Order: sequence, then C-alpha cells, then structure tokens
Amino acid sequence: MVSGSDVTGEMETPMETTDTAGPDTAGSAAASPAAAADAPATSAQTAAPAVFDVSGLTVFYGDFRAVADITLPVLENEITAFIGPSGCGKSTVLRCFNRMNDLIQSARVQGSVKYHGVDLYDEDVDPVEVRRRIGMVFQKPNPFPKSIYDNIAFGPKIAGFKGNMDDLVHESLQRAALWDEVKDKLKESAFALSGGQQQRLCIARAIATSPDVVLMDEPASALDPIATLRIEELMFELKADYTIIIVTHNMQQAARVSDRTAFFNVDIDETGQRTGRLVEFNETGTIFTNPSEKATEDYITGRFG
Amino acid sequence: MSSTSGDLSHHDEIRHHFDVLMAGLLQGMVRMGALVTENTRRAGEAMTENRLDLVKTVRKADAEVNSMYATLERQTFETLARQQPVASDLRFLVATTRILYELERSGDLAVNCVNVLERENGFPGSAALRSLVGKLVTEASALFARAIDALADMDEDAGPRLDAEDDAVDDTVSAFYTAIGRESTEIGLESAIELSRIGRYLERIADHGVNIGEHVTYIVTGEFPADLHPVLDDEDG
Amino acid sequence: MTTTRVADLSTTEVVRQSLAGRRVNVGAIAFQLGLLVTLLTSLLILVVLLGDIIVAALPTFRDRGLDFVTSPLSLSADSAGVLSGITGSLAITVVVALVAFPVGIGAAVYLEEYAPDNRLTRIIATNIRNLAGVPSIVYGLLGLAVFVRLVDLIGLGGDRGGRNVLAAGLTLAVLVLPIVIITSLEALRAVPNTIREAGVGVGATKWEVIRHHVLPSAAPGILTGAVLTLSRAFGETAPLFVIGVATGFFASADSAGIIDRLTGAYTALPVVVFSWTRQTDPLFLETLAPAAIVVLLVVLLTANAGAIILRNRFERQW
Repeated sequence: MVSGSDVTGEMETPMETTDTAGPDTAGSAAASPAAAADAPATSAQTAAPAVFDVSGLTVFYGDFRAVADITLPVLENEITAFIGPSGCGKSTVLRCFNRMNDLIQSARVQGSVKYHGVDLYDEDVDPVEVRRRIGMVFQKPNPFPKSIYDNIAFGPKIAGFKGNMDDLVHESLQRAALWDEVKDKLKESAFALSGGQQQRLCIARAIATSPDVVLMDEPASALDPIATLRIEELMFELKADYTIIIVTHNMQQAARVSDRTAFFNVDIDETGQRTGRLVEFNETGTIFTNPSEKATEDYITGRFG
Repeated sequence: MSSTSGDLSHHDEIRHHFDVLMAGLLQGMVRMGALVTENTRRAGEAMTENRLDLVKTVRKADAEVNSMYATLERQTFETLARQQPVASDLRFLVATTRILYELERSGDLAVNCVNVLERENGFPGSAALRSLVGKLVTEASALFARAIDALADMDEDAGPRLDAEDDAVDDTVSAFYTAIGRESTEIGLESAIELSRIGRYLERIADHGVNIGEHVTYIVTGEFPADLHPVLDDEDG
Repeated sequence: MTTTRVADLSTTEVVRQSLAGRRVNVGAIAFQLGLLVTLLTSLLILVVLLGDIIVAALPTFRDRGLDFVTSPLSLSADSAGVLSGITGSLAITVVVALVAFPVGIGAAVYLEEYAPDNRLTRIIATNIRNLAGVPSIVYGLLGLAVFVRLVDLIGLGGDRGGRNVLAAGLTLAVLVLPIVIITSLEALRAVPNTIREAGVGVGATKWEVIRHHVLPSAAPGILTGAVLTLSRAFGETAPLFVIGVATGFFASADSAGIIDRLTGAYTALPVVVFSWTRQTDPLFLETLAPAAIVVLLVVLLTANAGAIILRNRFERQW
C-alpha cells in the first residue's frame, strides 16, 4: 500500500489486493512486487512534483461504499486520465478533488486528498476557496443562462477580482481557443453557441478564476468527433499552465491525450456490493502497450467493460 | 502478467469479430510456416538426391508462400487501422508484420538453395558433403518447425529456447564450411563458393526461426530479448 | 386487408400490398369526434354564461359608461358604481402581495435549496400542499380569530374593531401562501441542477448561486405563479364575509385620510356583486350585478395577460 504525502510524487503501481473484501474478486491480487520492479522506476523519480497525493480515499453514499482505498499521486502539468467501466467510481474520485461530493448529502469521505501538502478535507479548509483553485468542467456543457461575457466574469467577480475584467475575459477565452469565434458577440447569450463552443466556454469559465488544476468529467462525451479533437488539442495547450485530470470512458481518448492513466474497476464482494478500486496506475504508454494487470488488459482491449 | 500466454482466443464474445480476424492471421502464419518448412525439406531432398526435377516444385511452392505473404500483410494493416488495437493485441499485430517478413524470406532462401543446384547442374560436391547438407537441412528445418509450433502455441519461452538450440545448427554449418574447404581443390573454387552459399542460406533459415521465436516471446511478455540477432546480413543470390 | 397471393405477384407488388393501410378506422375517428364534442360542450357552456352576463350588462355600460366604474356605492340603481369594490379589492391585493410573496418565495427557496432531504422536510412539504386545498372559508375563521384581533391590538383596528382591509389582506395572504410556496417550489425545481453545479464549481457559495443564477432562472415561473395568485386573491369572497366585509351600503367620508380608509369599513368587488343580487330593486340584480361581474372578469383577464407578457419578457432574455 502506498503511504501518500511524498511531495516528490512517488510513483508506484498500487495493486489493490482484496484484503478487505472477499476472496473471490477477479484475480487482480497479482504480482505487486513484480509489477513494482517492472515499473519505469527511472522516469518516476525524475517526474514532476505531485500536486495531489491521495491516500486511502474511501467514499460512502450512506451505507453504500462507492470507492475504497484509492491511493495515487497526480503530477504537475500532466494530464492524468481515469478510465474504467461504468460504476467503477472514477467520477466519484474526481469529485473528491474539488469537494464537489459535499453537495451530496449522504456522501462521506475517508482518507486524505492532499493538495500541495494540505488535506482538502481538513476542518479549516473552505470548500469554496478549494473550488476557486481547482476548477471543473462537466460532462454536458452547462453555461450559465447569461451572456458569454458574464459567464466568464461571474467566478472572478464573486472571488473579489478587482482588475480589468475585460482583459481577464479576453485572456480566458484566448486560452480556451474560443476568442476568435466569439469576440464580436460577447454580450450574446451563451446558448447561441454550438455544443463544442459551449464546452470551450465552460473551460474558459473554469480557468477564469486562475486555478492551477482543471478537473474534466467526460468533457467531450456529448460532442461530435471534430469538437472532441479540438478539446483534446486544447488540453495539450493547457497542460503547460495547468494540471489536468480527466475522467473518460473513451479509451482511445485517454490513450491519445494523457500522460498517466489510472484504471479503476468494480469489485463485487460476497454480499454483492459493488465497490470501485484502483487496479493499475502507470504511464499511459505502458498501460496501452504492456499493462501489468489482466483486468487492465481485458478492459483496454475491449474484452470486458 | 499478460493474459495472452498460450491463448489468443479470449473467452469473452465482446470482440468476437476482432478475435476471429486475429485467429485467422495466426492460422495463416502457421500455414505459411508449414509450407516453408516443407519446402525447405524438399529443397534438401533435391540437393541430397541430386534431383533437378524438384527445382520447379520448390519454386512453385514458394510462389504460394509469397502470395500468402501479400494477403496476410494487407489484412494485418487493415486490422491495425480499423480495430484500434492496444496492449497484447497491438503487440501481436505488429509482431505479425515482422513474422510474415521472416517467413517470406525463409521461403526465398529455400528457393535460393535449389537455384544453386540449377546453376551447378546438380550437386557439385562429394557424398560426404551431400550428407552434411542433409544434416544441416534436417536441423535447420526442425528448428524452424519448432518455431512455428511455438508461434501456434504462443509459447512464452520461444525466444531464449530457440536461440540456444540454434547453437547446434551453427556448429553444423561450421563443420560444413570446413568440409568444403577440404574438398575445394577437387570441386573447384566456383563450386566451393556456391556450396558455401547453400550453407549460408540454411543457416539463415534457422536464424529466421529464432527471430520468429523472439517475436513470439515479445507478443506474450511485451519485452524484447536482451540482445537481438542481427536479422539482416547482406543478401545475395 | 386483402391477403396476398404471393405466387401471382412480384416482390414490389407484395410489398406494396402489405404496406397499404386500412382506409377507414372507425374507432379512431369516433374517439376523435367524441373528444371534440366534449371540448365544444365546455366552450359552449362558457360562451353561454359569458354571453348571458355580457348581454345583461350592456345596458349599464351603454347608459353610464365609465361613470359606472368611478362611482361609489349607492342605494340608488342609477348612481351606484363599483369604485369602492375596486379600491377595496386592490388594497387587499396589495397587502396580500406584500405579505405572501416574501414569505412564500423565501419559504420555497429554503425548502428547495437549503432544507436537507429527510422525512421532516417531506412531511412539511406535503402539508403545505394539503393546505392549498383547504376550503377558503376556514381561512375566514382563522382570520376572524387571529388577524382581526391582531390588527385591533396593534392599534390599527380603526372604528371597526379590526374588520378592515388590513385584516382581510392578512387573511387572504395566508390563504394564498401555500400556492405561492408550491408554484415557487416548482419554478425552482425546474432550474436544472447543472446550473447550480456550474456555479458551485467556479467557487460560489450557495447563496451566491441562488441569487445570481437560480432565482433569475426561476423568475419567470415564480412571477407567473405570483400574478395568478393575486388573481385568486382578487376573486376570493367567502373568507371576507367571515371577517366582516361590509355587504351593505357604506360610505367613507370625503375627508377621510388613507389611514381611515385602510382601517375603516371596506368592501371587495365580488362582495359588491353579492350584495347587489340581494337588493330589493330588481335593477341591481338584472343590470348592475352583471356589469360588476364584467368588470371583475376584465380585471382578472388583464392580470393574467399581464402575467403572460411578463413571463415572455423574462424568458426571451435568455
């Protein structure tokens, strides 16, 4: 088990052994030492610092344990992808990074999610401030029913931004590769934009509060293929200034876009309860050419899911 | 540990169509390998029995090998393009392109042997040399056949094992060259050179067999062997 | 549907015959006609009622025109007008708006946005819905027992011991409160959760999200509900009787100030209609009452039209 909190981003491939659940889970209690030995150790040690260090993260919705014992680092200025079959908890884990799970009454979080060394779930951490520094883009584009300008300006305004709002809006739209398309209609409704444009607007809105992390929950799943590729291209550009975590059910997208990939899977214990666990976490190239776990291999080759 | 050890036909039916395609490619390669093995033995028979009538047969058999190569190559690239393979599927398809190359070259090498026979209008050496050639053909074609078996079974250890077995073939080749050297005055320089070419060709067939084994190991484990045989010398004749 | 004799026909013919539908579906047509008849019947009833009223009211408007609307109550059929009724109803409506809207909308916001989703909250919401169905006369009793005395206690009872527009407004406010809460709740529920998520996602507090996004988005619905509620309050009659609306003739002194008018005797437009139907002079019943009804209907229709216009204006913005 990885003990988290090393800021220099220790890279291990946690093999989630089924010590807490029943013994009948799909054989994924595999070669942990072997895998660690095979892991690209040199690249890990010279990797970027860790922005997030997740340790033993477990999330309950009431009595239902949605994910258990998630441990992994997220490295700076990288794109980290979460993949896995439906119900594996990847969105749940993602929403722990900006405390969006707080919105769900019955949600309980155990373990720690350390952001630059500070546990986000500490008592004196204000979730509102967390969300200004860790932005989020959602599955279906959800601009506010306001003008394009006001969509971007809202976040900074309530955060107390005192500078030149026009400049900030301009810069945000530029970084989201949307400026040229909307510069003449900033006062028009956001709903006048196409789906792909709306999603880029949502990206611009997320980065307007100057976060250093952008979380994306299946950002392109509602878009056509060309719009999807534009979003992916945008992610490459954003990587230079932001750390990005993307949840996607599109494996080819994860393969194209991400630097590191985390594969989550559903464990079914003897009572039939389904819990999400982290099966494998490694550089994307390795995951997609030679994964260590059979479950990972079966999932990415499309043999189950 | 990867899931493909010994079994490419995954039990799930989710990508049945894809699985069928891959199984077809594997079968094609195995059949090509069987043809090459048989043709190598046929070339050996032509040389040891001094049967020029078999030359045409060898050539015709290799034409089929070449045609299979073209078909399977095309299918492999189409599958790569259309199925977005990853992990072991990807390794299999990339390795298939290489294995197809090894198979095709091996077929050509068998033809090269009988070409020598044709040029020299019969086997230009003594009975002793002929029996050495026979031994060499037996060993090389046996190794090659074992490589094809390893391919059919997706044998994880094929590479290192066949690499070790190749030492015996190399020894036989050395013995053959030595024998040629001893008889060179009787048979003449040109014939000696032609005979040495046969030695080279048969040695190369064994090397291609080893390479196929190493590609199989790569498919299963995802790792290249520590040192690769040099695949390409300069080819002639 | 003729069966195809496959041996005789080409494929195209086979297909064509199998695609040909029934010409006449008697059941469907009969059903459609039946529905049309019910619609027409409803319309007919409405038309007849309205027609009857309007025809009866025409002489009054013809003879007196606008004077009818601007004259106060009178014992004489020639000079009686609905002005007192209009001002009374308006005053009540204003009180209702001032009381019911903030309380109702606020309660709805709390219930929808802040209250945790547990059994207690669900029980409260259910009971609010039940309150909307309580007969209005019950609210009249409540008004008499509580608001009339309350108004009197705080010194605004005037010369009627609290039986004035203030008490009436409070009573009707409580009556329409459940409706305001429910319509506002529905309007708030209709705001997609994705907007709230988006607001929270950029670092807004709950109140900021409500104030900047949820309420503006729900405004058309809330507004429409509000105007319809006011229309309802405008037309409520039964409770007013219980809390002492003046059903007969009364007049405020010309020199009476606002406070006196607010705390003194009052009437409402529907009550005027009622009282005129009971006058001895048959003209009241035959011509004046219908005219008053027409005025009432005009006011209500205008209010509803206003609601629709307002809602369209809000919705068109985005």
